[in-house]
Amino acid sequence: MTAAVWRHVRLAFFLGGVGLHRLSMYRMDFALGAGAFLVRVGLQTAVVGLVFRQVPAVHGWTYHEVLFLLGFSLLPRGLDHLFTDQLWELGRKLVQRGEFYRYLVRPVSPLFSLLSERFFHPDGLGELAVGAALVGWSGNRLGLHLTVLQWLLAPLLVLCGALIHTSVKLLFASLSFWTVTSLPSMYAANQVSEFAAYPLDIYHPSLRAVLTWVLPFAFTSYVPCVYLLTGATGLVVWLPVVTAGALAVALTVWRRGVDAYEMTGS
Amino acid sequence: MIVAENLVKEFRLAERKPGLAGSLATLFTREHRVVRAVDGVSFTIPAGSKTAYIGANGAGKSTTIKMLTGIMTPTSGRCLVRGIEPYRHRQANARGIGVVFGQRSQLWWDLSVPDSFRILRRVYDIPDPVYHRNLTLYRDLLDIDALGTTPVRQLSLGQRMRAEIAASLLHDPAVVFWDEPTIGLDMVLKDAVRQLVNRVHEELGTTVVLTSHDITDIAAICDSALVVDRGRVVHQGSIRDLLRTADRRSVVFDHRGGPAPESACAEIERGLPGVSASSAEDGRIRVDYPADRFTSRQVLGFLLERFDLADCYAPEPDLEDVLRRIYGGHREAAPAGVPGARREGAA
Repeated sequence: MTAAVWRHVRLAFFLGGVGLHRLSMYRMDFALGAGAFLVRVGLQTAVVGLVFRQVPAVHGWTYHEVLFLLGFSLLPRGLDHLFTDQLWELGRKLVQRGEFYRYLVRPVSPLFSLLSERFFHPDGLGELAVGAALVGWSGNRLGLHLTVLQWLLAPLLVLCGALIHTSVKLLFASLSFWTVTSLPSMYAANQVSEFAAYPLDIYHPSLRAVLTWVLPFAFTSYVPCVYLLTGATGLVVWLPVVTAGALAVALTVWRRGVDAYEMTGS
Repeated sequence: MIVAENLVKEFRLAERKPGLAGSLATLFTREHRVVRAVDGVSFTIPAGSKTAYIGANGAGKSTTIKMLTGIMTPTSGRCLVRGIEPYRHRQANARGIGVVFGQRSQLWWDLSVPDSFRILRRVYDIPDPVYHRNLTLYRDLLDIDALGTTPVRQLSLGQRMRAEIAASLLHDPAVVFWDEPTIGLDMVLKDAVRQLVNRVHEELGTTVVLTSHDITDIAAICDSALVVDRGRVVHQGSIRDLLRTADRRSVVFDHRGGPAPESACAEIERGLPGVSASSAEDGRIRVDYPADRFTSRQVLGFLLERFDLADCYAPEPDLEDVLRRIYGGHREAAPAGVPGARREGAA
C-alpha cells in the first residue's frame, strides 16, 4: 500500500516536470490565459472599489476585508486549478468520444492517470500569484497580525479549500459516465463557486445555506477568512469534516462511474 | 492464460422517438431497450498463441476485448487474464497487458512520441535494458525515429499507429490485445508490424489477441482463430483447420489448343454437375467445385482427360469465403473473386 503511494508520488513529480515542460512549449497559450485572468480579477477588484466609494462598509465588511476575501478565494481555486483541470475534459468529451479507456489500461490509479495528463495548468499559477498579492496587500492595509496558530493553519485552510473545489468538480465531471457529457452542470457548479469570493452576509439565507452545506464553497474562502480576520472559530472547526465528506461523496460517485463506464463504438 | 466463462455484456439504449414531439417526450420518459452485445461466450486462449478473434459485425468482438482489458465490467459471467479478473484489478492487470485500439489513441496528444515513451517507461517501471532493447527494435523495424519531436496530434494516422503499436509492447507485456491495429498502415508498414509481433512472440512468448477487418493481417500474424457467431464459439483451432472446413475448393488451369475458354467452361459445367467454371482475362480457367461432391482427384482427372494442361494449381481456400459461409449459415457461397462480395463476412 505505502509502496504504491510512494510510486504515485514519484510519478507525480515526474509528470509535474512534464507539465512544466509542456508550459514552455505552449507559451502563447500561457500568456493568453494569464492575460484573460488578470483582466477578470482586475474588473472584480474595480467593482468592489466602486461599491465602497458609495458606502464605507457592507454588512460589516470593509473595503480591504472584502479584497482580502477576494484574494484568499483565489488561493484554493488556483491550487485546485493547477492539478485537476483535466476533469473539465472528462465532463466535456472523454466519455463521449470513448477516450477515457486509456486511464483504465495503465498500472496507476485511473484518477491519478487522468489528472496527471495535465499537471500545472497555467491559469492556476496566475490565480495563486494574484491571490497571494491581494491577500498580502489588503492584509497589510488592514494591519492584520496573525497568531502563530493562524500562520500554521493558513496553508491547511487553503489545502482543504482546494480539496473542496476538487471534490465538487470531480462529482459533476463523474456524472458524465452516465450522461456522456456533464459540462453544463460543471459550468453551473463553477458559477456557484464564484459567489464564495464575496462576503456570505450579503446573500439571501437560502443561498447562504446552499453555499455552506450543499456545495460547500463557503468553506473555501468565507469561513477561513472570518477565522483569519477575526479569530472567531465558529464554522472553521467544521472544515476538516466538510472536506472529508465532500471528498468521500465525490470519490464514491467517481468509482461507481468508472465501473459503469461504457466505451462506445468499435 | 485467457479464460472467458459465460461472458455477457448488455447495454441499455434509450429509445428515441422521431420528431420534435418525440424529442420532448424522450426528455421526460425513459424507455430503454436492452441490447446484448456479448451473449454468454466461453472460451480459453492458451498462453503463447497468436489468436485472431473473429466474428461478424456486432458479434461483440470489441466489447469482449474491452472486458478482457478491464475497461468494462461484464453484466454477468466472468473472464480471467493471467488468473486476474481484469475489471476488478485494473492496475495489476494493466502491468501484464498491452493494448491498441486502432480507432482511439492512448498517447499524450500534445507530446512527442519520445516524450510519451519516457512517461510510459516511468508508468510501467520498465527496466533500462528492456527499454533500450525495445527502442532499438522499434528503430530498426518501425523507423520510429522518423517521427521525431512532432506532437502526436500532428502525426498522420499511419505514423500514429506505429507509435501506438510500439507503445503497447514497450513494457514487454505477457498479453497484447490489438483491436484493428493496422488501420492507416501501408503495405510496407503492415509488413513491419507483422515482423515485429512475430519477433516479440518468438523471443518472449507473448500471447497475441487480435481483431481485424483485414483478412491478410489475420492470416499473416495469427496461427489460430477463435470464431464467434451470435455469442457462440463456432470454431477454435488453427487457421489451417479453419480453411479445411471450406466447402468449395478451386483449381485454376491454363491449356493449349482445344476449345475456346467459353466453350471449355460450358464443357466442364456439363461434365461435372454442380461445378462452376469461369475464364479469366489471361485465358486461364478457374474451376470451383463443392468439396462434398467431388474429390480433387476426380476434378483433376476430368480436366487431364479433356484438356492439354499447360499450367495448373489449386489455391488455398479463401478465408473470407469460409467465414462468410459460417456467418451466413449454409447459404450458397458466391464464387471467390466476385467483386462486391468481398469483406462483408470477414468482420
